[in-house]
Amino acid sequence: MKKGLKTVLAGALSSAVLLSACGEENNGNEVNGSNGNNGKTNEAANSNGNEEVAFPEDRIEIIVPYAAGGGTDAVARSFAEVAEEHLGENVSVLNREGGGGAVGMQEGANAEPDGHTVTMVTVELLTLPHSGLAQFTYEDFTPVALLNEDAAAITVPADSEWETIDDFIETAENESGIQIGNSGTGAIWHLAAAALEQEIGADFNHVPFDGAAPAITALLGGHIDAVTVSAGEVGAQVEAGDLRILAVMAEDRLDAFPDVPTLEESGVDLSIGTWRGLAVPNGTPDGVVSVLEDAFGEAAQEDSFIETLDNLDLGYRFEGSEGFEDLIQSQDELFEELIPSLDLNN
Amino acid sequence: MEMMLHGFMEAFQFNTITLIILGVLAGIIIGSLPGLTATMGVALFLPISLGMDAIGGIVLLIAVYFGSIYGGSIAAILLNTPGTPASAATALDGYPMTKAGEAGKALAIAAIASGAGGLISTLMLTLISPQLSTVALRFSAPESFALALFGLSIISSISGKSVLKGLAVGVFGLIIATVGMDPMTSYPRFTFDQPTLLTGINFIPVMIGLFAVAEALIQIENHLKVKEKTKSITTNYIFPKLRELKVIWMSVIRSSFIGTFIGSVPGAGADIAAFVAYNEAKRFSTKEERDTFGKGNPKGIASAEAGNNGVTGGAMVPLLTLGIPGDAVAAVLLGALMIHGMRPGPMLFADNAEMVYTLFAGMFIAAVLVTIFGLLGVKLFTKVLYVPKHILLPTILILSIVGAYSINNNFFDVYVMLIAGVIGYFMKKYGFPASPLVLALILGPMAESEMRRALVMSEGSYAIFFTRPISATLIALAVISMIAPIIFRYIQYRKENKAS
Repeated sequence: MKKGLKTVLAGALSSAVLLSACGEENNGNEVNGSNGNNGKTNEAANSNGNEEVAFPEDRIEIIVPYAAGGGTDAVARSFAEVAEEHLGENVSVLNREGGGGAVGMQEGANAEPDGHTVTMVTVELLTLPHSGLAQFTYEDFTPVALLNEDAAAITVPADSEWETIDDFIETAENESGIQIGNSGTGAIWHLAAAALEQEIGADFNHVPFDGAAPAITALLGGHIDAVTVSAGEVGAQVEAGDLRILAVMAEDRLDAFPDVPTLEESGVDLSIGTWRGLAVPNGTPDGVVSVLEDAFGEAAQEDSFIETLDNLDLGYRFEGSEGFEDLIQSQDELFEELIPSLDLNN
Repeated sequence: MEMMLHGFMEAFQFNTITLIILGVLAGIIIGSLPGLTATMGVALFLPISLGMDAIGGIVLLIAVYFGSIYGGSIAAILLNTPGTPASAATALDGYPMTKAGEAGKALAIAAIASGAGGLISTLMLTLISPQLSTVALRFSAPESFALALFGLSIISSISGKSVLKGLAVGVFGLIIATVGMDPMTSYPRFTFDQPTLLTGINFIPVMIGLFAVAEALIQIENHLKVKEKTKSITTNYIFPKLRELKVIWMSVIRSSFIGTFIGSVPGAGADIAAFVAYNEAKRFSTKEERDTFGKGNPKGIASAEAGNNGVTGGAMVPLLTLGIPGDAVAAVLLGALMIHGMRPGPMLFADNAEMVYTLFAGMFIAAVLVTIFGLLGVKLFTKVLYVPKHILLPTILILSIVGAYSINNNFFDVYVMLIAGVIGYFMKKYGFPASPLVLALILGPMAESEMRRALVMSEGSYAIFFTRPISATLIALAVISMIAPIIFRYIQYRKENKAS
């Protein structure tokens, strides 16, 4: 059961890193995908138009690199349902878990680049390669649509001495050894805490757990001082008055927690979190990418999909191919610098 | 009380009760197939449940959960092939009973104990879940490590004839458990650049290989050697007599409590609960009786089944009271509840009381149905023993391959299963027990990561294990249960020597 729990949680909760800041400048919200990719192929995509590409010819398969029943799986399944109507073909979900997401994403990268195999990529697409845990890079994929984004949040027990994020930062600057729980070493919430640590010059004691849920349990039991998982993951306990979110590591305050300040408001320039989106193998024809992008863009606006994300306490953010690509690129630069500096393997 | 009555009224609605019945039946089938675990069963039904209304969907998943935990025992008893890891302990006494021609009785006891375990644990969930969750919250890394250590100490009591061989197998299991990413630093260990090895060697294919494949290989060998016609095992369907039920009722109740408690501790599930319950049943038995464990003692089946079914209610405790999944099945249920717009956690009882009590009622009904279907099915299940060997054995091998593949949809697990089968064959030939290996594979990663997590928390001080009362008590129990059998054996040995 233990291993099963680990993989399910990995799918539901773990993640890797993200600076959500990037890519906002670009008009990534445009869904009429033909201005995707690089300049040279733009025209081809435009002139081909959607009608002339004989796609899809068969059912579409979405590879989910995490276990059935987890959060990533839930997003994929609920999206597959709405995407079917817009693609006019069956969309099925295939779970290929293992290697913290490496197995499924590797298989997705190796798939036939004809658009019929789409991979649910997560922020681990960037963090695994920089941690030396995967052979692929983000360049093996062409991003199609970003569906979700969740920022890290600094959360403490309701009876904690820290009332505000400034209290926390003050203690962190003067004392070493504050125990911060995360969802696993090298996973996104560890990277978030480590980035904060570097940013404010603190010295945390990072306590890794098998996913976010055990970390939250330890926080509820008073065994650790704080966690840096997403705000959604602690939502139920915050609502019940057991936990308190001090700050979110996002550019703007979250809609779900309008009273919680961002780190930036306290002068710490850091936004980091996880995301999920769909990508096809590199080399997929531009016409196919734009058909997928159009269909996914329409599907992502369906109420039932947005409602599912909301019910799962997951943040909704849509970007088309270009916006998603920009996000990935700027995030990759961040991780390229952050992960080696953490010296994870020691 | 009124809420509970209302819950039962909701659960007995035609649609709902139909879903419970179908769920339990489907669960029994899924559980009895090797490789298809309770977690997979529930995950399999998740997409179906999403199309239903909230109550129907959740109750269906719960019914599948109950059914599959019980279903694992059928194959464990009849074919020495635990359908789920939770029934590995059931095979210890279940299969010897089948060999002795008591398959019908063994199945009946498993059905009764399973239902009782589910009932008692649901009752505890209904009555004292806030208290249970308070205790569960006191469990952190040092306590979980101590629990894992205690679980490992059981190896000495499930080793059969030779404790030494059992320990050797256990250590072998612990070594295999080190494959994969280091739980603290994520550094890949012994992975040989294989991404599939990053999360370690999954214990389910290993278990299928060690039990199902090894057993099939042995039987094929016998079959070829003896050229025997299908040996008809007599399996008269004898309902256990009241006298026999009286012997096991204490074990059932104790095991249900153990299961509920272990289920409520985050990170520990039905497999661990079954072994701990089995061990305690043995510990509380008389000296003469203790020697019959592992040779077909009904108490062994009753305790293992009540223990693993007891987890069902326990696992719901942290889920419903704290919004935190206690094991993999609960994690799937959490997702299901949330997709239906409910947020498990402290507010659930206030916001969705009707739903919660219908859920409880559904659990009670599912537990009763497990017993009913289990007893009704005995005749049907035992038919498998009359299937000619040349049909049965290849079928088991094919099911093993399908089961191993279906865990991660990955052929690597099939190879692991086949290698484990060959190793298991030789282990059987030379009298090495398989259960300690499974137990070590389940508990090894837990013990390692919890111990190192505790040491991170204490910044390197080992005192953390001994200054916390729960942890210190469990470690003391572990030492006692490890050493006690050896001392007993020594005393017996001295006595016998004197007598001769």
